[in-house]
Amino acid sequence: MAIPLVYLVRRALDSESQTLATVVMRRKTLEIFVTTLTLTTLVVALATIIGVAMAWTLHNVALPFPNLSRALVILPIAIPSYVFTFCWISLFPELQGFWAAVFILVLSTTPFVILAALSALRRVDWSQHEVAQTLGLNTFATFFQVTLPQIRNSVTAGSLLVALYVLSDFGAVSLLGVDTFTRAISNLYRGSFDRSTAAVLALILVAISGIIISIESRTRSHSKNFRSSSRIINNPQLIRNFKSRAIASVVTLVYVLLGLAFPLTLLIIRFFSNAAVIDYSNLLRAALSTIIASLLGAFVALLLALPVGILVQQGSSLARFADKGVLVVHALPGIVMGLALVAFGSEFGWLYQTLGLLAFAYALLFMAKSVGAVRTSLSRVPQNLVDISATLGQTRSQTFRRIVLPLAAPGILSGTLLVFLAAMKELPATLMLHPTGFETLATEMWTYTSIFRFSEAAPYALALVLVAAIPTFLINRPDLVNRSDKYVSGEGDLS
Amino acid sequence: MSPTAFARLRKRAALFLSLLTIASLATACSQDSAKRETITVYSGRSEEFIAPFLEKFTAETGIELDVRYGDSAALAAQLLEEGSNSPADLFLSQDAGSLGAVSSAQLFAQLPSQILSRIEPKYQSASSDWVGVTGRVRVFAYAPDRVSALPQTIDDLAAPLWKGRLGIAPTNGSFQAFVTALIQSRGEAATEQWLTAIKDNEPVLFEKNSQIVEAIDNGQIDIGLVNHYYLWEVAEELGREINAKIDFFQAGDIGNLTNVSGAAILSTSKKQSAAQKLIEFLLRDDIQKKFVSDTHEYSLVNPALWPDGLPALQDVKSPAVDLASLADLRRTQALLVKIGLI
Repeated sequence: MAIPLVYLVRRALDSESQTLATVVMRRKTLEIFVTTLTLTTLVVALATIIGVAMAWTLHNVALPFPNLSRALVILPIAIPSYVFTFCWISLFPELQGFWAAVFILVLSTTPFVILAALSALRRVDWSQHEVAQTLGLNTFATFFQVTLPQIRNSVTAGSLLVALYVLSDFGAVSLLGVDTFTRAISNLYRGSFDRSTAAVLALILVAISGIIISIESRTRSHSKNFRSSSRIINNPQLIRNFKSRAIASVVTLVYVLLGLAFPLTLLIIRFFSNAAVIDYSNLLRAALSTIIASLLGAFVALLLALPVGILVQQGSSLARFADKGVLVVHALPGIVMGLALVAFGSEFGWLYQTLGLLAFAYALLFMAKSVGAVRTSLSRVPQNLVDISATLGQTRSQTFRRIVLPLAAPGILSGTLLVFLAAMKELPATLMLHPTGFETLATEMWTYTSIFRFSEAAPYALALVLVAAIPTFLINRPDLVNRSDKYVSGEGDLS
Repeated sequence: MSPTAFARLRKRAALFLSLLTIASLATACSQDSAKRETITVYSGRSEEFIAPFLEKFTAETGIELDVRYGDSAALAAQLLEEGSNSPADLFLSQDAGSLGAVSSAQLFAQLPSQILSRIEPKYQSASSDWVGVTGRVRVFAYAPDRVSALPQTIDDLAAPLWKGRLGIAPTNGSFQAFVTALIQSRGEAATEQWLTAIKDNEPVLFEKNSQIVEAIDNGQIDIGLVNHYYLWEVAEELGREINAKIDFFQAGDIGNLTNVSGAAILSTSKKQSAAQKLIEFLLRDDIQKKFVSDTHEYSLVNPALWPDGLPALQDVKSPAVDLASLADLRRTQALLVKIGLI
């Protein structure tokens, strides 16, 4: 986490103080600042409302194919922002500017909130819900007074991921022509090789994300235990009346159509209209490389996140600082992280452009997505179980392995899944750091999209979604999850 | 998850991880080819177009190539960060600007005279450390059924006739190189005037050249400023004839700027002679001919070679511009920002 920051400060110091002043003080920077903030705020607000509403619906209403729907609404995050946006504007060329960016970004970030809210909803004790209803509260009032306070922390954490995603996104804003910090920074790198000015802008971006993160942690309420220990109902009485089911089905269907089916169909049509030949062996090799690199990345992220999570649990302030630092770095554009790791890695020839450094880069880029999940999952393991284990003569490490880890596992898994999904489609850092000849689905796809061959990129984009679909589907299988609920609901969330 | 289920999961995870390790070791071994000489190439030219040439080179010389593809400007930035630690031997760039940026950090080696003498001085570096390989010309693309009177100079595009009908890609490197050349030939004030006039004509802004050509084909706009080869690229992508043509401004107009794709050798490379062989190969007559027919670019070595259906390079009458100076886009970007195009 220190690597990119040290790099940026060093580069920024290279610039003469005069350039520094002109860059920071010019009116354009203020405009970029305002655009970035408004865009982020709007997208976060909309994605949060839509995401919570959809998660609630998926959890409470009897939908046809519930498992499939839960997996499908998550999958839009597997489509790279650039490809997603391209699909939309190739059909609606007039889709340009600020509002188009709000639309596209809300579609592609809502899954972060859905995932967070869904896993928190599974932990809610629905017997309280029943009590509230017998006391005469209607569904809406029950939601706001009983359910929402219990899922709030998780949802805010999901919204934070949305905010950081918008801050670091390049694909959508560049294609739609919206000037955010990330676009300005990337253009500086592309155009004038002016690395100092870019570094100054990147530091401003770091400051913005720092402010957002501290707002998030301030709104976080201290975990209240609403649970009555005698009787826990984890599965709500599903709403089955026709009108609710119809509305819920239509909403879910529309989202899946807009966020997933539409871009994929467009790619498939492009593919068949040109009847490009698929090189299956290359496709398979790229898919394997993607899985290997992203899994390793997710694994390293987990290894780094576990100690941070455990130490934060024990109240270490250094760990809390690391926890925040990881999030701050998450808002940086991929090209900045890539170049920072190039500057760092090329000092060590034996390490540079190896799978190890690539996995490390993924872990660094996306650890923010798992560190929170690890922290909260650990915190939800009941202390009394740990105490009982100790009285039964287990050592601390035995207790950790046999009690804490299994209980926290589902939550840790869903955080690790997010790292995996993000690493799979990462491009700028991958292009700079992958081992030579080790092509992933994302780099192969870029090979074609960079020269406008969307028809030939289509099989790789589809493979990317397929590879993403398997873990997403597994993690959403309630039968796996419910087994853990029998013991205690250590179910994961992202807060 | 129960403890037993967790143990099962852990076993499976262990099995999976060990399989992964085996798989990655296997890939690593298969890449470890015989002890033939290998050079590392950073290529800003896309794999689709350049790979056939590179494969032919390996087949002829036995020199293996480890190629890393990327965006030219991003690769140049990467080379600047790597500095003297760069593993790269050779840099192939889409444009002169990226070459110029790395050249001014003095990271390239001097090229021998047998390479330099193949190429006209205006298509190579003044400090003899990079050469152009192929030529690419700025043109305007238009819809033949909706455009009858063609513009003669870039100034015509500011006429009310073109209001809302013109497409440009102001964040794109090729457009910025053109504006940089415009500043060089007319000065900053005149360039600002032209850009302002164009902006007042409400152009449609795009991210890439190819989007402009596609927008002409689908009727969104009628004319646009692009590089000449995008016409073929878009037609190939869509798999059909497209409703767009290209043409040049009058002889000598700055709108006909010729930029080059080029090559350079890193001064830290320990394989100078193998890298030189690759550049010599790319400049060979038969290979230049293949560039012209396969990627529709202009040959910089043989003036008798040019793409079908276009005029020869000497008839395009591109204005004289110092290509190396196109690296510094700072003034250009500042101007574009000031006018509000980026």
